Amino acid sequence: MNPQLSRRRFIKAVIASSVAAASSSGIHSALAQDRPRGAVERLISLNINGQTRRVDVSPQETLAHTLRYKLGLTGTKIGCNRGECGACTVIIDGVTNYSCSTLTHSVRTRAVQTVEGVQSADGSLHPVQQAFIDELSPQCGFCTPGQVMSAVALLQENPKPTRDEVRHAMAGNLCRCGAYDHYLNGVMRASGQNS
Amino acid sequence: MASFDVMPDVQLYQPVELDDALNLADELGDEGWLLGGGQDTYGWLKDRAKQPRAMIDLNGIEALHGISETNDGIEIGAATTLREIIRDERVNRDYSLLVEAAGRVASPQIRNVGTLGGNLSQDTRCWYYRRGLDCYRAGGNICYANGPESMNREHAVIGASRCVAVSPSDTATALVALEATMVARSVKGERTIAAEDFFVGPDTHITQMTSLKAGEILTAVRIPAKWAGKKFYFEKVADRDVWDFALVSIAVAMSMDGDTIGDSRFVCGGVACTPHRLTNVERAVRGKSLSEESAEAVAPMASEGTKPLNYNHFKLPLMENLVRRAMRG
Amino acid sequence: MSDYRLVGKDFTPPDVTGKVTGKAKYAEDFRVDGMVFARMYTSPMAHARVTNIDTSAAEAMDGVVGILTADDVPEVEAPNAAILTNSPAYIGDPILAVAAETEQIAENAMAAIKIDMEPLPFVTDPLDSLIEGGANAREEGNVYARSQEGSGFRTIKWSKEQVDEFRAGKEPTGEFGSEWSYGDIDKAMADAELVFEEPFVTTGYAHMSMEPRTAMAYWENGKCYVHGSAQSQSFWMPGLARLLGVEVEEVVLISENTGGGFGSKIGAYPIAALPGWFSKKINRPVQLRVTREQEYYMGSARVGFQGWIRMGFAADGSILGSDVFIIEDIGANATGGDASSAGGAISLVYNAGAMRFRGLPVLTNTTPRGAQRGPGQNQIAAVMAPIMDKAAKQLSIDPVEIRKINATNNDSLVYSDRRTVTSAYMDEALDKGAEMFDWERRKNQPRKNGSKVRGLGIGQGYHSAGATGFDGLIRITPDGKLHVHTGVGNLGTYSYASTSRAAAEVLNFDWEDCEIHRGNSENNLPWNSYQAGSVSTFAHTRTNYVAAMDALRKMKAIAADTMGGEPDDYEIDGKRIFRSDNAAQGMSYGAIAARAIQLGGEYSGQTYPDDINAITKRSVENLAGTGLVGVAKDNLPQEGVIPGLACAFVEIEMDLETGKYEILDYVGIAECGSVLFPAGLAQQMKGGAVWGMGMAALERHVYDPQNGLPANIGYHQCGIPSYLDVPSVTRTSAVDLPDPQNPFGARGIGEPAMGCSVAALTSAISDALDGHIFGRTPVSPDMVVNHVTGRDQSFLPLQTNNF
Repeated sequence: MNPQLSRRRFIKAVIASSVAAASSSGIHSALAQDRPRGAVERLISLNINGQTRRVDVSPQETLAHTLRYKLGLTGTKIGCNRGECGACTVIIDGVTNYSCSTLTHSVRTRAVQTVEGVQSADGSLHPVQQAFIDELSPQCGFCTPGQVMSAVALLQENPKPTRDEVRHAMAGNLCRCGAYDHYLNGVMRASGQNS
Repeated sequence: MASFDVMPDVQLYQPVELDDALNLADELGDEGWLLGGGQDTYGWLKDRAKQPRAMIDLNGIEALHGISETNDGIEIGAATTLREIIRDERVNRDYSLLVEAAGRVASPQIRNVGTLGGNLSQDTRCWYYRRGLDCYRAGGNICYANGPESMNREHAVIGASRCVAVSPSDTATALVALEATMVARSVKGERTIAAEDFFVGPDTHITQMTSLKAGEILTAVRIPAKWAGKKFYFEKVADRDVWDFALVSIAVAMSMDGDTIGDSRFVCGGVACTPHRLTNVERAVRGKSLSEESAEAVAPMASEGTKPLNYNHFKLPLMENLVRRAMRG
Repeated sequence: MSDYRLVGKDFTPPDVTGKVTGKAKYAEDFRVDGMVFARMYTSPMAHARVTNIDTSAAEAMDGVVGILTADDVPEVEAPNAAILTNSPAYIGDPILAVAAETEQIAENAMAAIKIDMEPLPFVTDPLDSLIEGGANAREEGNVYARSQEGSGFRTIKWSKEQVDEFRAGKEPTGEFGSEWSYGDIDKAMADAELVFEEPFVTTGYAHMSMEPRTAMAYWENGKCYVHGSAQSQSFWMPGLARLLGVEVEEVVLISENTGGGFGSKIGAYPIAALPGWFSKKINRPVQLRVTREQEYYMGSARVGFQGWIRMGFAADGSILGSDVFIIEDIGANATGGDASSAGGAISLVYNAGAMRFRGLPVLTNTTPRGAQRGPGQNQIAAVMAPIMDKAAKQLSIDPVEIRKINATNNDSLVYSDRRTVTSAYMDEALDKGAEMFDWERRKNQPRKNGSKVRGLGIGQGYHSAGATGFDGLIRITPDGKLHVHTGVGNLGTYSYASTSRAAAEVLNFDWEDCEIHRGNSENNLPWNSYQAGSVSTFAHTRTNYVAAMDALRKMKAIAADTMGGEPDDYEIDGKRIFRSDNAAQGMSYGAIAARAIQLGGEYSGQTYPDDINAITKRSVENLAGTGLVGVAKDNLPQEGVIPGLACAFVEIEMDLETGKYEILDYVGIAECGSVLFPAGLAQQMKGGAVWGMGMAALERHVYDPQNGLPANIGYHQCGIPSYLDVPSVTRTSAVDLPDPQNPFGARGIGEPAMGCSVAALTSAISDALDGHIFGRTPVSPDMVVNHVTGRDQSFLPLQTNNF
């Protein structure tokens, strides 16, 4: 490790190293010996849907992995794991991201919202969710959580989008059933406009 | 073959100071992987086609973010996201060419996190290379894409040398057209590289797409005032209008003197391993006006010097057509 | 539309809320204690024999729990796909699997496995196999022929001259695999005013459902519990049991939600049984998460066509004869069938006077083939549309008119055995579409605008859309609720719910008082059809109808037994059964259900009809005594082909300089009998339209013939249409005339919804290019640019699986 790297400078930053990703296995022990000085705990706090969650996260772990397999938030789907479909879309600090292509360690200081977190505190559905029901937007439903997240993020920023703006904002979410028209109708309805 | 899908063990450094990042980059050398938005990172790692020892996440470094005015134009931090660039008022006003190009990158989610530095430094999309085959670019001694029956519709029509892959970056063409300068830092100091020299072909370096050396970090892109507010044209032809890379794209900057073209930069994407300047067209359009007539006169020059492969000679008329369209004004 | 209370009305299917909240669980969302993660090692070679597998290093790794190889699973008879194989026949063919405590460990272990393989000759284009000296995709032969004389592998070769002539667009003279015909084709052509021939290629491509075919399994109390991604529910059971080597009652399938199927998950596929075998071997629950790349490898992909067609038209535009020859690219693990279905579709949609079909299914070392949305019908729909336009132009007939002249109607006889149709209103569909689209005005509008040119297209889609003989099972409980048990499956069409409403309709139930039981074979489900082939609407309105009628009969009998009189003296309304002549004398549904339990026997399911399926019998036995049980096999009369039909009108604006086109307007008309569920129908029509747009412009297999390597194993290269590749608004409607052979007049639509779309687009592309027929799907921008600039295409004529 370069001695120039003072520990102080890394207080904000993590040097997360590859120690035992899987608790039950000793497979990473050899790597653990390489753990550089200045490395911090893998046990980190995440702000997920307004709640602080403590979770043990390996350095290379993707957010989709953490959400689904460590926090049980399986509403976020893995359709391709390559940023090519959008089923894993979540909102991070108000902006949509592919959680399959986001490192969990990069969202430590940020607010993550998943499909489980868009309903209001009293449990009522978000207008986007209700509109997707009313317009029968989902078919198979596997892409739907991602569609919900892209729509929610759009309406936060642009409450009265045109249909074409919606189309462009949702463009990073594939729907193999081809329910695009119904999703667009849903977003327009959620924004209080005619489709 | 095992088809891998989960992130393998790799260390992660998240420095907040550029100096720390430079030291890390220096120390790790070839074994370090610079991480911008990561959108051309995780696929490589999940596939185990690239196996760096550590990722250096540059996003926490304040100095790499933001768009600022300089004495001669603007400077964009390499970790600035495409989303920020697309929404920046000044860039929209003066360099809409870059906005248009950045706006056609991949998908909204990728533009939300993808950085300018990452978009410029991304690796080629040659599907053979991406499959992890031992081709020239991967350090081997064969090109799978240039066999007699290779599926090379998306590959190079000019400037190939053993490797026939093309530059996939949309912003690269725009920045070459805008005569941008790349700022690279290492522990040894800073150097600036003209955008045109930043991108390298296989004849220069067959295993990398840019002239960045191991240990160097692209920190910023400077765009000169020379092209601010000039006449621009950008077009990207891809199979799908989301995600897909250019079959052929064009970025054009023209300095107009009344109705007449003075200096100009015509740059094609998707045709060579680097953004491909059409210097012959640039010479020919000087003094011409934007019209159907001049479009017809110069368009055929666009494909001069090309050498298509089995499945991509369509790129020649497409290059010509894109020049034709740029010249119509 | 009739005055039904529920049928034909919109409603919210009960599973939609879970889909928008993320609570809906798919196969990979389940975890059980002790579960381990499996990964598959798939073949790096296009055709090979595995000679040695060394897993010692992998097995020695911490966290590795076990290895499953082909020796651990049953052998299957080629060309069927095995769970695991030592004779891989395409790149990606599964060879073994590793289970470990984490996926990452499993992948680390996989990297340590050494497999020795002996390469064998391979081929990725049927014509490269067919030509003399060409490689065979399997050691057994290069053709799998199904015929009445017997089915099996054969080796068929054509001379180079025969292949060259076929490529040149001439009638094939080489040997073929199967043939059928009706009428006198030679006379038809001789009599025809206009005869022309067209070669064609439709490239196969992957389903790429959003949810990969992941499965998890464990054994408990002698049963194998499988969490699978299943398109059908009950229909999966026999096949899944067979794959697992157990009896049907020893398998539990949990598949409440499935992330799309489109034909790839109709019946149990081999990989679905892998976790079960692995779990048995290592005595741990096993999840196999299928990656996107492996999802591609697993295939069931659309069969590719290389063909030739000769059409003979009378001066009035009617089709006198149609002579079609199709070579099918069936990959390494299929037996073909799309081609003959395509021939059937020509016979039905275009009402051809005389017909000859010849087919030849050729094996290639490409991903396995199976059913994909309109298998055969939709490929040929794309081929036929521009041919109809060409004939219309040459005979100076309006393109709508020539389709109407040949449209199937209630009197048509179809297929080689000249069968009747249950009903058919293609004429009406075309009229409705032309009106909605404003065809008359549009066809005369200016076409060219700078580099852009507009093209109009009309497409027709067809798939047989019904099945019979399945069972219905419903139950009324003492709390006055109706329970509909459905084993249809849930891949996203909502037909499980819309057909359940048929029972509620018959019994005058409010929808709020109905509960659907489904998604888990332990939920006492009846034997139901595959959720595919556009059949579930027709098949299960009928099963739920007969079950409800059985319940009604029992209700009336109980009422008469309890309150006197004859069963026919009673009627139902307001959740009561009462005497028609004295409404005051009656019983509530709840009371009738309670009485049914008291009476026992057939009333509460202690006895049941003999002719129901064993799966239904077990469910009835489990439910016996819990309410009034209605159960019956669908023995309603049914005769003739049940056609699902659709047509589409499209306007595109093609940029001749970029080769790209924008779809300016799309109108799709369903002809599926009476509308059962309007919003669901719109979903199918619009989703089908998107599928057609993908097939027309983007989707195809690409294989490097030098090494058998597939180029498009992920979403990016597969080119699934995005929001921006389809129109913002898609307009749809329906003819909505009842089919006489369905109690509610309904037929299916899922597949024709796509066929009409791809056909309308090939038609519009041809129109935009002054009648040029590419004879190929997809038509990509490079092809348009090459055509417009007078360049040759990069590929050989009839080449397939190429860019």
